[in-house]
Amino acid sequence: MIFEDNRQFIEVLAKTGDVVRVKRTVDWDLEAGAIVARANEAKGPAVLFEQIKDYPSGYRLFGSPLGTYRRLAIALGLDADTSPKTLQNEFERRTESPIRPVVVKDAPCKQNVLLREEVDLYRFPAPMVHDGDGGRYIGTWHMVIMKDPDSDWVNWGMYRLMVHNKNHVGVYLTLANPNQGARLFFRHYFPNREPMPVAIAIGADPLSSFAAACRFRARQSEVDYAGGLRGKPVELVKCETNDLLVPAHSEVILEGMILPTIVDEGPFGEALGYRHGMERFPVMRVDAITYRDNPMLTMTCMGMPVHDSHIVESISGSVNIKKRLRSEGIPVQDVFLPPEMSLYAAVISVQGSGSNLQEQLAETVMGDLKFLVVNDDVDVFDLNQVLHAFATKCHPGTGISVVEHQHAALLSPFLTKGERATGKGARVIFDCTWPPGWSRETDTPMRCSFKDVYPEEIRERVLRNWMDDGFR
Amino acid sequence: MSKQYDTFVQSIEDLPTGEGVRLRVRDLTPGRCKYDVRYVEATVTTSALPEDDTLRIRGPKGYLYPQCYSIKITGELGEFPPE
Repeated sequence: MIFEDNRQFIEVLAKTGDVVRVKRTVDWDLEAGAIVARANEAKGPAVLFEQIKDYPSGYRLFGSPLGTYRRLAIALGLDADTSPKTLQNEFERRTESPIRPVVVKDAPCKQNVLLREEVDLYRFPAPMVHDGDGGRYIGTWHMVIMKDPDSDWVNWGMYRLMVHNKNHVGVYLTLANPNQGARLFFRHYFPNREPMPVAIAIGADPLSSFAAACRFRARQSEVDYAGGLRGKPVELVKCETNDLLVPAHSEVILEGMILPTIVDEGPFGEALGYRHGMERFPVMRVDAITYRDNPMLTMTCMGMPVHDSHIVESISGSVNIKKRLRSEGIPVQDVFLPPEMSLYAAVISVQGSGSNLQEQLAETVMGDLKFLVVNDDVDVFDLNQVLHAFATKCHPGTGISVVEHQHAALLSPFLTKGERATGKGARVIFDCTWPPGWSRETDTPMRCSFKDVYPEEIRERVLRNWMDDGFR
Repeated sequence: MSKQYDTFVQSIEDLPTGEGVRLRVRDLTPGRCKYDVRYVEATVTTSALPEDDTLRIRGPKGYLYPQCYSIKITGELGEFPPE
């Protein structure tokens, strides 16, 4: 089933037990965030808040739409228990066949329209997600839609949005850690101090939001990949005050201009699990708001794993790294960014030894991640196996390669002040494979596990009698 | 009835006090508009009397200092005044 909007998605989640509908009145000021945080930490269901303090009946918050592999699988129309490996394969298959959107004239997101003086962001229950954040965040699970002025490329990105006042939000765009939206704004508009048209879609259908959160190649329109993921085009409708196109079934659309005004923003508890300092980002002036009846804002409560950003990147980011390494001729079997590691570690299984690959990996892969390279008999999706390989096979002296002067993500918690200012850090590769010269018959230690040191006949007999012997 | 505001600083030692202090504050009045950002000119003092409006201070990562200051807003500086 392909979901046209989150409302249909929630109906199915309710049947599978993957959403809790909270019917009592919940405070947007910290309480909603606390409930979602606790649900995430317990690997629990999504949360639909049906009554929000200070807001009329019908105004709702939908927390953590894709915070588990189960919910992502359901959004993709797959069985809820689909494995992360299959989700990766499915993601790769579907995004290889992008489908362009269609433009419609009528749209649910146009049921209500506020223009200019009527604009009031406080009409909507944007949550104060964490105590001590710099403001209420109306944008934590949404898309920021920006068009390249020199081509047909339209970028969808998920850049956090902090409410400053009734008609301004801060937008996470910075050259210190440039996303594609930042490159568009700072290259084409900011140098001449010109405003840039922008639209924000909050509460688009689950796979459109998923596509916005993924990192595709530069200058690729995410809406096409959203179509590929859905298996059918995304329906778009034109904004009221500019020519941008927005998902027609979104809950709330903010239209406006990103101004060449840089102001303090944050701090905000971020995807890595920590809240670091305030930043300085441009401001968006909101010129129009269109929204559905009984609008439902979406939110993710970023912080300690696992939440929506981790699930998204563990699928899409893993596929990206795998494709990149294979394109460089590296014999990669699987790649996995464990969500429990907040996407700061990637496990790569290779055929043969990883020792020969350290230099290639150091040159190919980007950012300040930690890479654990394992043999292809280690299941990268099983953290127990990965930890065992790390502990027992990574030589402390020769198995660790540190590559200095690498691009560092602004949000990396471990950066020094100097590294944060320059945007330069380091990355490390842990070689958890057997050395290349070791013979399988005489040098390589033999794995002692049920699968490895018992003949097939014995294993089958054990499994045949397992339940009768009293095991569960 | 006295109101409550807060502001973020890099270090509490850097918070200016006295008259004519230019600050970015958040209005903490309960309700839909809580946390509305205002750029103001104010008189800020370290001694908070019960009838004064209160200013709480947060560090750069959100830490709430225990000290309470008093604030008397004397002017509005506009939405996003230049620094």
